[in-house]
Amino acid sequence: MEIPTFQPRLKVLNREQAMAIHTAALEILEKTGFKMEHAGAMEMLSDAGCRVASDGRIRMPAFMAEDAIRSAPRQITLFDQTGEKAMSLRDEQAFYGTGSDATFTLDLKTGQRRRTVLADVTNFAKLVDGLKNIDFAMSMANPEDVPVESIYVHVFAEMVKQTGKPIVFIADSGKDIAKIYEIACAVAGGEDNFQRKPFILNYSEAISPLRFPENVMEKLIFCAQKQIPICFPSGSNAGGGAPVTLAGALALGIAENLVGLVVHQMAGKGSPFLFGPNVSAMDMKSSIVCYGSPEWSLTQAALADMRDEIYGLPIWAFAGASDAKTMDAQAGAEAMFSIITALLSRANLIHDVGFLEYGYTSSLEMVTMADELIAMSRFFTGGIPVNDNTLAIDAIERVACGGPGSIFLMDDHTFENFMHSLFLPNLLDRSRYDAWINDGANDLYQRCNAKTQRILSEHTVASKSEDLLSRINGIVTSG
Amino acid sequence: MTIIDNLKQDINKGNVEGAVAQTQKAIDDGLKVKSILNDGLIAAMDEVGEKFAKGALFVPQMLRSAKAMQECMKLLKPFFLEGDLVPKGKVLIGTVHRDLHDIGKNLVAMMLEGAGFAITDLGVDVSADQFVKKAQEIEPDIVAMSALLSTTMPSMKETIEALQRAKIRNTVRVMIGGAPVTSKFAEDIKADVYAPDAGSAVIEAKKLVGTS
Repeated sequence: MEIPTFQPRLKVLNREQAMAIHTAALEILEKTGFKMEHAGAMEMLSDAGCRVASDGRIRMPAFMAEDAIRSAPRQITLFDQTGEKAMSLRDEQAFYGTGSDATFTLDLKTGQRRRTVLADVTNFAKLVDGLKNIDFAMSMANPEDVPVESIYVHVFAEMVKQTGKPIVFIADSGKDIAKIYEIACAVAGGEDNFQRKPFILNYSEAISPLRFPENVMEKLIFCAQKQIPICFPSGSNAGGGAPVTLAGALALGIAENLVGLVVHQMAGKGSPFLFGPNVSAMDMKSSIVCYGSPEWSLTQAALADMRDEIYGLPIWAFAGASDAKTMDAQAGAEAMFSIITALLSRANLIHDVGFLEYGYTSSLEMVTMADELIAMSRFFTGGIPVNDNTLAIDAIERVACGGPGSIFLMDDHTFENFMHSLFLPNLLDRSRYDAWINDGANDLYQRCNAKTQRILSEHTVASKSEDLLSRINGIVTSG
Repeated sequence: MTIIDNLKQDINKGNVEGAVAQTQKAIDDGLKVKSILNDGLIAAMDEVGEKFAKGALFVPQMLRSAKAMQECMKLLKPFFLEGDLVPKGKVLIGTVHRDLHDIGKNLVAMMLEGAGFAITDLGVDVSADQFVKKAQEIEPDIVAMSALLSTTMPSMKETIEALQRAKIRNTVRVMIGGAPVTSKFAEDIKADVYAPDAGSAVIEAKKLVGTS
């Protein structure tokens, strides 16, 4: 008996709602228009059919967006740094990774919040490399001990040294992204190899509402020309960069994404573009943009539905983050909420795992905890396989009809199946009370801290050749 | 309830129409405009500010109250002589060079205005020279700078150095803020004050001009 296993799936929009939000996004581009501050992009847009009004705003006919949606690839494959397929971003495949640019981090030794330094990039990348369920690295730090004008080149080079997994990176403009690309090509063994097997993806942001700065467009066009996968989410957060109502915030964010996609496809038709805005909410008391909010999880679930109904492009998402200041119960609750819903929504590339304090502070222990929460979520979303073996009628008969002392724990069926039939936690504590006391009565934060320290001291990252490392250093320090 | 009580209540609730009507009624009834201003509008906004600081009000509610006050001021202004209405201080504000993010900066500007400061907003991508030129022209008490990107933070330092070169650094107080900005960074670049959010920007600004 072979029955396909139903994969639990979250759905939050019906087709009518999805179409209405998409139509609103197109209407924003046609009627309200946007501000494009890159002369080359402006010329391309106007040549292709956009109208440039006297106020400088550009209005875009709907067909341009529809054409770009059709020409962008429906699948983006990211490779690891040895050229092995690592992340196939398509359909219902989901991958988790860290975030970027945290000003502070919780120190692993003292537990105190302090300003980030380059050594934090080292530790986060190495930890990502050593965790099974974390698929890609971002910097998790905005280090204060490297020159700010080349900060993104330094953190990229450091990540490349500390992990072999795919990297999602930030750049400032067309200048530093060219250097980062040079490093990536060196790692891949040349430009041809890189373009066949890219292991990096750029994260660039427009400014909500509807503003496209020159340096941001430089990066977008560079990626389109070099076929570097890119995501282009704006910060169309409800009540902040966008209207406070989620439908309008989504429509605005999608409109902004579509402008990026149109320019991107004109600059490099068929180049890979990861779709999707960031639509969280601004907290109405503190005015921070929330990272532990049900709103963000809800809008990305909506985006997943819109992907399935309309766009067909892989999407960008977030999870495993919190607004809490320490790794406390709030941090655990918020991290789990976004991790499980992102997976149930089948978002494709899910970043920001390990953030505290609305993304201002990174935490190694949070990443380690999230690794386990992701495993738990993957178990849940795997559903319940139903077949002769899992129905286990024979085992039931053996135990029920067996002699005295016959128990399932002793049965061969249990021995053969328990490893994959049950979720076996590593960090979540299920020990009996006395054993827990004897073991030091540690809470989850302490256990995550110990595991993180162990990984950082024991895990070895596949080393890169001396020649490659010196070439990378040369690129970093060149003017 | 007196007219002043009603006015205060309307400001508190952010009832713009109601507050304007109460102000008109107070003027028509012959109340002193100084009393309408001090006992009504300013007293109400002080309460609003306190409630907001305690977390009892949300940002949009606080901003609506500020808007109600500004609409009422339009009615009172003609009754005051030039020089009678002295702002708490003059603030020159902008997002620094190469940075185009303005949500935080705009919120700070609105809250400062609501607290009685006169605001000159230079917008976004404001160069050090633009800050200096405008500062020489309007002679502000405070120069306030915002940056969202770590890569544009150095522009804050450049502006402070430009103020120094123009020999007006000592005549203004410099306040900075924005996502990547820290108090240590403020010390490093010799700014006077770092404000982590819009609410504390108002508190710090009041301290800087000595009215808190």
